[in-house]
Amino acid sequence: MSNPSIQRGWKAALLRHETLLLLVVAVEWLYFNSVGPRFGSVDNSFDIIRHSVEIGLLAVVMTPIILTGGIDLSAGSLLGLCAILFGKLWRDAGLSPVMAGVCTLGIGAVAGGLNAVLITGLRLPPLIVTLGTYSLFRGLGEAITRGVDTFTNFPASFLFLGQERWLGVPAQVPLFLLVAGAVWVLVHRMTFGRTFRAVGFAPEGARYAGIPVERRIALAYVLAGTVAALAAIIYTARLGQAKADAGTGYELFAITAVVLGGTSIFGGIGSVHGTLLGVAAIAVLNNGLVHARQPREVAGMLTGLLLVLALSTSALPKLLALLRSHRQTVNPEPIKS
Amino acid sequence: MKKPSPLLLLLAVLALATACNKAPEASSGPAGSARKLSIALMPKSKGNAYFISCKAGADKAAKELGADLIFDGPTDPDPAKQNEIVENWIALGVDVMAVACENKEGISTALRKAQSKGIKVVTYDADALPDSRSFFVNQATPEGIGYMLMDEAARLCGGSGEFAIITASLTAANMIEWQKHIEARRAASFPNMKMVALRPCDDLKDKAQSESTALLSANPGLKLIMAICSPAVPGAAEAVKQAGKVGRVKVIGLGLPSENRRYVKEGVTDSVILWKTEDLGYLAVQAAAGLAKGTLKTGDKSFAAGSLGHFEIQGDNILLGKPFVFNKDNIDQFNF
Repeated sequence: MSNPSIQRGWKAALLRHETLLLLVVAVEWLYFNSVGPRFGSVDNSFDIIRHSVEIGLLAVVMTPIILTGGIDLSAGSLLGLCAILFGKLWRDAGLSPVMAGVCTLGIGAVAGGLNAVLITGLRLPPLIVTLGTYSLFRGLGEAITRGVDTFTNFPASFLFLGQERWLGVPAQVPLFLLVAGAVWVLVHRMTFGRTFRAVGFAPEGARYAGIPVERRIALAYVLAGTVAALAAIIYTARLGQAKADAGTGYELFAITAVVLGGTSIFGGIGSVHGTLLGVAAIAVLNNGLVHARQPREVAGMLTGLLLVLALSTSALPKLLALLRSHRQTVNPEPIKS
Repeated sequence: MKKPSPLLLLLAVLALATACNKAPEASSGPAGSARKLSIALMPKSKGNAYFISCKAGADKAAKELGADLIFDGPTDPDPAKQNEIVENWIALGVDVMAVACENKEGISTALRKAQSKGIKVVTYDADALPDSRSFFVNQATPEGIGYMLMDEAARLCGGSGEFAIITASLTAANMIEWQKHIEARRAASFPNMKMVALRPCDDLKDKAQSESTALLSANPGLKLIMAICSPAVPGAAEAVKQAGKVGRVKVIGLGLPSENRRYVKEGVTDSVILWKTEDLGYLAVQAAAGLAKGTLKTGDKSFAAGSLGHFEIQGDNILLGKPFVFNKDNIDQFNF
């Protein structure tokens, strides 16, 4: 229409991306509700949420990391390691589930701190560092249990967290909302958290602007580690077991949700609510296909398709702006020649 | 020019998604087809040839019974996936489910939940905790498998020498159980046999091959590789063949005849041990249907499974019978 500046262009695109995603979720919901008689039931809706809480948690805290231009490939492995250590602390060290949980959160924070130190202290690329800790954490979990040890027979009071309802909603939901809300406030409502985007958009610029870049980046990874530990505890309560293979591949699901949610993999652009919509779009699709009597592999295919299309639509406005500016510089030329 | 493009694209996605969903949906039959018994069958992993051949038997049973069969399972190695599928089936409202369990304790919480909603549960291939299902369709006792593998290994090695085991994962409950019995048999009857390595292959043929290649170079005295998950048997055979050690290093394992026919005929693999997987799938579905209809009850001593006849029940285990040894004399008679 009028001629928006490039900045307003991508801001508008961002807005549109999330609106579109919301629309996708809504359409998915309506469609599956029309083909699956039990899809829209309260039980099934809660199942969708219960099944996506762990990946949702990882995705929410992956968002600030990707906003700073980083990535955390170790999230799923750390979930596995924390699940094992939680089991170990409870069964072998005799701690109560609450104490074991608190210690596990501490361990998660330390593990996230390890990523942070390697990335900010040694200035190593996050991709390489977390690729390393991806193997390290999973390997530690396998070594501690020798692969075979399984922690199970947790008390019912602990399993409540993953399997029962509290005040009418699955018990893990309040925890998830708390974390998601806190991270949203941090990233979108606090000057402090807004610097994540500044760091990702232009690290050197942020540095010159007086932002303690290293500390901000470190915070994002420590936060991710702590929340991965929380996800591990919820995962253990949901399955009633902790084993070395817990959370295999979750890091990729989390990254997919973040990117689908409109966060640029290069950092600087993105939002927590976008990520939540990304998680919802994938979770509803996965569950709904069962109710539409479709084989599971279709879900992977459609998720991929959704991602590719989401990325192309969000790239489109930029491309159009580029074409327009190109045309503007080209148009005057015929007059000259 | 600028505004409609993303919206148009979105509409295209939705149209496509809707089209994708609608077309096959019609063929899979109406969801609430009134009286039809709805049976859900879960493999440990969906692409595995072993479970695909189970499905062939399951399809046959479902057809004979006139039941609606849902076959679905994990396509990635996420141990939580089976629980999610069970919970999805609960929401879907199936009558009965037959599950091959990847995680004994983990899946049990979901299966108990199914039972509490009035859905009958049987397990097959790999069991859950006994209180979370009514019957386990037992393809072969761990003891039977472990002993037969060890006996066959010792026979081929002449009672002494080094051997190595390739397993699916160090965490798979049924394989751990088999290993226990392999070791017990070895200690009791073949003390001169020595197990030098146990390696996981993640249920992947190419990983089994690379693990076997590493084993061959690390253990020059190795006389036999025992592959106890089905993709590992051809993987190990290919490694032995490429290392030029055919005859000097023998390969045996639990696998499908069809995947190993070539190696068995070339003399790389000596014996492939397995039950008849189609029968397993058939029996699992028959047992599930029997349980749902009330023709199979706790305490029964035998079960009549359609065209396969009667099967013995020991406690809450429905026994498929003894494992079967496929070798170059008989392997051509089986096409699964």
